[in-house]
Amino acid sequence: MTISELAEQSAQLSHTYQVTPEVYQAFQLCSQDLNPLHIDETYAKEKGFKGCVMYGNILNAFISHFIGMCLPTSNLMIQSQDISFHRPVYLNDTIQLEAGIDTVSEAVNIINYKLKFRRITEGAKSELVAKGHVQIGLLLDKEA
Amino acid sequence: MEREEIFSKLNEIFEDVLDLEEGANLTDSTTANDIEEWDSLSHIQLIVAIEKAFKIKFTSLEIMKWANVGEMVDSMESKLN
Repeated sequence: MTISELAEQSAQLSHTYQVTPEVYQAFQLCSQDLNPLHIDETYAKEKGFKGCVMYGNILNAFISHFIGMCLPTSNLMIQSQDISFHRPVYLNDTIQLEAGIDTVSEAVNIINYKLKFRRITEGAKSELVAKGHVQIGLLLDKEA
Repeated sequence: MEREEIFSKLNEIFEDVLDLEEGANLTDSTTANDIEEWDSLSHIQLIVAIEKAFKIKFTSLEIMKWANVGEMVDSMESKLN
């Protein structure tokens, strides 16, 4: 698959994720981040949140899954990503990751996707919780 | 676009992408060996940023032939004029 073909086939994609207790605990184990904002409900409420705030970088892990598992080829790698957090994410939130193409360069075989994370709540308008970019490079076979 | 103007804009892009505090000071003979921050990944970022800023597109063959910044600017001049 060429970078142009990948761009055509991935012009607008989305995938839905759930911030389950398993996801939260796995990220906590991996990061060892025990900041009270993430683990102490009373503390989080005192600071104005409605409960423990989920680790923002869980969304980065969702990007990893999205790129590694949802694109039409596995011959790629993430070269860079950035994300800005606009609203807190809570346990059991359903998050829809939407990706659209920002830049394609055939010269260096990359696509930069623009990302939006929306909280999906039944019967309510979706809310933008984070946005960012991820740049992937197409992996080419090593010349013999 | 004049060569001097291309160099001026290119210096800004290099400074921004490579996060150079003391300026890029690019000349025709500058190569990746002269700038520590210019590695293979930042090379990709530079190409993407240059394509975007100048609204031009390179080919992979074209960029593989460049031996220095001067040759990159030669390519850019031919596309911009």
